[in-house]
Amino acid sequence: MSIEEDVITRAIKGDGEAFAQLYEEYFGKIYRYVYLRLGNRDEAEDLTQQVFVKALEAIGRYKWRNLPFASWLFRIAHNQMIDYFRRENKIEKVEWNDNISRNDEPGPDSIVQHQFEAEELSENIKKLPPAQRDVISLRFGAGFSVAEAAKALRKNPGTVKALQYNAIVTLRKMMVGAE
Amino acid sequence: MTQKIADVLENCLERIFRGENIGDCLQDYPEQSTELEPLLKFSCSLIQKSSAIQPGVEFKDSVRSQLQRAVSAKFEPRRTKISIWRRRWAVALTSILIIFVASMGAVTASQKALPNEPLYPMKLAAERVNLALTFSDLDKAVLHIQFAQRRTAEMAEVARWGETDKAFLLSEKASAHLDQLDKILGVEKTWEAKSPKILAPTPLPAPFISQGGEVDEAGNGEGLAAILDNERTRNLNKLQTALDKAPEELKPLLKQAIADMKMSYDKTIFIIQSGANS
Repeated sequence: MSIEEDVITRAIKGDGEAFAQLYEEYFGKIYRYVYLRLGNRDEAEDLTQQVFVKALEAIGRYKWRNLPFASWLFRIAHNQMIDYFRRENKIEKVEWNDNISRNDEPGPDSIVQHQFEAEELSENIKKLPPAQRDVISLRFGAGFSVAEAAKALRKNPGTVKALQYNAIVTLRKMMVGAE
Repeated sequence: MTQKIADVLENCLERIFRGENIGDCLQDYPEQSTELEPLLKFSCSLIQKSSAIQPGVEFKDSVRSQLQRAVSAKFEPRRTKISIWRRRWAVALTSILIIFVASMGAVTASQKALPNEPLYPMKLAAERVNLALTFSDLDKAVLHIQFAQRRTAEMAEVARWGETDKAFLLSEKASAHLDQLDKILGVEKTWEAKSPKILAPTPLPAPFISQGGEVDEAGNGEGLAAILDNERTRNLNKLQTALDKAPEELKPLLKQAIADMKMSYDKTIFIIQSGANS
């Protein structure tokens, strides 16, 4: 049994300490994934919080079988996001403002600058087809391997690699072109 | 054809995530290098931009507290159930005592455990228990300083093994301990009015970024080294600020922690840069 399996088994049995370890391991990854999909800090925080509350409620029902824990957690995040869009009556679509350009960049503050870059990245990711959007957010946001992403998305690894390739080519055209 | 280039791209990305540089990948795929190079450079810029997205410390702490309360509430009924089985009480207590005595040996043995070793989770759990059972602020501060030192020492160790992604994670954990220290010493608000949600990676040296804003072929190893260099500055600043405000009895420990942490970060960054440039 791997270390992670041991921790998860204990968390399933109600060990709060084990759940805390999972929280520390996955919190940042889920946040980055959600942020890249939403592009809004406050909404990403709300949703990340809900993912972990849901995970705590559901962990007793988690079964190892063929689904890695990371992929299970992602599915919760994905479902939360679908609920979010439904609840907010928002269509997951591009809301790109063409007027955003280098000239509109905030001042020299590097934190603001990098926040701008992260928002710009998220806005461009939103323009991708849904499947590419998921793959790119999982690979670069959550740090999933292709195998983990494939299981989470119920696709085969070859498809995930092709989606990743197409997403990178498209994003590059959008972002390098924009610069 | 698309699938082939998609496979090659993924293979190179995996290598870059592990700390290899773009040049090495391109050498192995000379036929695809023209198409591959701009995609890999762009991917490196994606890695860098994504890694700068971090949840705020205050937010993470508040969710942790909420979950702790939820965990207590969720498993409270189980404790009530146990009380029904009073006849088994003596047996359970005896078992607990046996497990406790056995685990004391394991906990002691776990103190030198490193990430990926079987006893490492026990080491972390023991640290949390230690913190939970420590009530004086001064003692808690001492523990947070020691645990932050441990995490950065472990960071250097995992970098030596080539697991550079874990190095960043351990650096974040050290940072979390310093944030707790910060709260105990009551100086948090003087450092930053609101913790930034997007961390700024260290600005890369000019030759590293091309005109298009892409990361140069030094690749992900250099990118990670730059991020860790930024972490090094932030964490050492936190320790220095703590040193300025800490009571006298904490100062020798903080000075030692600054020296140790500098050494651990220098070692880690050196290892990662050596790997990226080799």
